[in-house]
Amino acid sequence: MYKTLTVLFFFLLANIFVFADDETIVFSEAEILSEYTARIPFKVIDHLIVVEAELLNKKGNFIIDTGSESLILNKVHFDFNELINKKNNRTSGVLSTIDNPLERKLKDFVIQSLSLSNVKSDVIDLSHIEATKKMNLLGIIGFNILKDYEVFIDLYLNQITLSKVDTLGNKLDEKVYLEKITDSVDFTLKNHCIVLNGQVNNQSVKFALDSGAEYNQINKSVNKKVLKFFKPKKRLILSGASDHKIEVLAGKLHRVKLSETIYFGPMYTVLTNLRQMNEAFGTDVDGVLGYELFHQKRTIINYKKEKLYFIDYPLGSY
Amino acid sequence: MKKIITYIACFLIALLTQTINAQDKEVKGYAIQGDSIVFTFDIRDYKTFTDEYSRKRLEFDDFNLESVAVSGEFNLWSRDQWKMKQVDQFTYQLVKKISDFNDDFSWEFKFVINEKFWAEPSKDIDNITTARNKRGKNLHVYNLKMFSAYPDEDGNACFKLRGFENAKKVILSGTFNRWSENQFKMHKADASWEITLQLRPGEYQYRFIVDGQWIEDPDNPSKTKNEFDEYNSVINIEVPVTFYLNGYLNANHVILAGSFNDWNESECNMTKTDKGWTYTTDLTGGKHHYKYIVDGNWIVDPDNKIQEYDGEGNINSVMMVR
Repeated sequence: MYKTLTVLFFFLLANIFVFADDETIVFSEAEILSEYTARIPFKVIDHLIVVEAELLNKKGNFIIDTGSESLILNKVHFDFNELINKKNNRTSGVLSTIDNPLERKLKDFVIQSLSLSNVKSDVIDLSHIEATKKMNLLGIIGFNILKDYEVFIDLYLNQITLSKVDTLGNKLDEKVYLEKITDSVDFTLKNHCIVLNGQVNNQSVKFALDSGAEYNQINKSVNKKVLKFFKPKKRLILSGASDHKIEVLAGKLHRVKLSETIYFGPMYTVLTNLRQMNEAFGTDVDGVLGYELFHQKRTIINYKKEKLYFIDYPLGSY
Repeated sequence: MKKIITYIACFLIALLTQTINAQDKEVKGYAIQGDSIVFTFDIRDYKTFTDEYSRKRLEFDDFNLESVAVSGEFNLWSRDQWKMKQVDQFTYQLVKKISDFNDDFSWEFKFVINEKFWAEPSKDIDNITTARNKRGKNLHVYNLKMFSAYPDEDGNACFKLRGFENAKKVILSGTFNRWSENQFKMHKADASWEITLQLRPGEYQYRFIVDGQWIEDPDNPSKTKNEFDEYNSVINIEVPVTFYLNGYLNANHVILAGSFNDWNESECNMTKTDKGWTYTTDLTGGKHHYKYIVDGNWIVDPDNKIQEYDGEGNINSVMMVR
C-alpha cells in the first residue's frame, strides 16, 4: 500500500512538472535582451506577420494580430481534452468571428524568461486560414499578450520587439532600441482595439490599427469627401479570382493623415461594409489600417500610454 | 470479350497519354530573370475563359481581345493596373522588379482579358493551384502560382536523392514553395534524382515525396522535427556580403567580428584599399550584428545608422541580408 502511494505520488509529481513545463511558449529564434525584452524575428506571409514558436510540445507559426483580443490556439493542433473552462461567449478578431470558443486559462504563460500569468486563450479551428494561406498555423497572438509590452513592429529588420512596461507604460528596460523616434501620435483603446483619429481630405476618419489585416479597409458609408480620395481600380474579389459572392471595390486610398506631420503614400485599400468589422473590434470605426501602414512606417505601439511612435526606414531601403 | 479488350486497351492508352502529359508539364505565366519577374501570357496556352459577370465559360473566339492584364494577390486582383504589352501575334508580356514584391513571396495570379474574362489555366500547367474562396472552399478552377524559388541549372541549391531507381516520380517540396506537392519534379540522373533551384538567402526546410511517400533527405544530417513527429531536412543558403570601413588608413590591423562568426577576434582580417578596409564573407538571410576591431579597439560601423543593443547594453551595427 505504501509502495502504491509512493508510485502515485511520484506519478502526480511528474505530471505537475510536465504540465507546467508544457505550458510555456518559447520563441526559439528570439534574441533575449533581458528578462523584460525580447526581439522575435518574423516572416511576412501574404501580408501577415508570422513568428515561429513552440507551445505544448508543438512547433509552428503564430500570427501577430493586434486586431484579435486574445491568444487563439488552433484546435487542429491542440488536443484539449482536459479543458478547464467551457464558456458561452464570443471571441472576435479580424480574421474571423467565431461562436462559443472553448476557453482555457494558461496557468503560466512564459515568453522564454518573460512570464505572464492567467492569460486567457481561445481554442478555435483555424484550419480555414491554414488552407487559404497554405501554412501551418498554431495560433494567433493578440491583444491580451501584447498589451503588457511596448511592441515594435519593424518591417525593415523583420522583427517584433516586446519590451515589458509598468502600469504607466514606461519600459522596465532602459536600453531597448537605438532607433530615432521621428514622430508619435495618440490613440484610444476601445476594448482591445487601437483607434486612431485620422484625416482624409480634411475629414476626420476613425481607423482601427490591425496588424492582422492584409489590406486596409474603408467603410462604404464614410463621408463622400473621404471617398473622393479613394481611387477605385476595379471590382475585387478578396479571396481569389473566382469567388463571385464577396465582391468589393479595390483601389488606393490617398492622403491618409494621422497628424499634421504623419501622413502616408497611397495605400492599397478595399471599400467594404464594416458592420462585421465593427462587431469584431467592438467599436465603431470608419476604416482599418493594416499591413500597409507597417510597410510604410516602422511602428512602436504602447498600449498603456495609448501612443504610437514612428521610426524612419533607412534611406534607400523603402 | 473483344469489347472488354478494347476497353482495357483504351484505358491503357489514356493512362499512358496522361503519364506523358504529366511529364511534359511546364511552369507557365512567369519567369524570373535576374532581378526581374517577366509575366508572359501566350494565348495558345488557354482554352477556357470565364466571364466575370455572367460566369459563362467562353472560348477565345467568343470575344475580341483588346487588353491583357496580370491580376493577383500582389495587386489585389486588379483587372487593369498591370497591363501587358503585346510582343508578337500570340504573346503578351509585363516586366516587374522583384523588389516590387514583399519578402517571403508566393503569390496566386491569373491573366484577365478585357478586364473581365479570366483565362483559366489547364491541368497541364505545372504551377497551378486550386482556387479557393475565403473559407477554403474549392472553386473548381485553378489559379497560377509563382514563387521566389525556381528551378535553374545554374542555381545555388542542388538537391540530390540517391537510389530509389525504381521510383516513378520524385518531388522536392519545402518551405520555399509552401510544401507544394507537384511543383518541383526531380529529374532522374545516374542512380539518383536531382533538381537545382535558385533560392534567396535564408534557412529552408524540405522533404522528398517518392511516389507519394514523404521522406527526409537521408544524406543531410541537418534536420528538425515537424508537426507529424517526423523530420524535415534543413538547408541554409548563404550569399556573399561585402563589408566596407571607410578611412582608418593609418591603422595596422582591422578585424571584422560579428554574430555570424561568434564574435571571433582573429578570423576575418580586413583588406586595406585606397579608401579604407573591406572584407567579403558568406552570410545567411536575416539579421546579423557586427563590429570592427581597429588595432584592438572595437568600433561600430560609422556609416551604418542601423544599430542595436546586445543583452549587456553594448551597441552593435546591424546588417540585414535579404
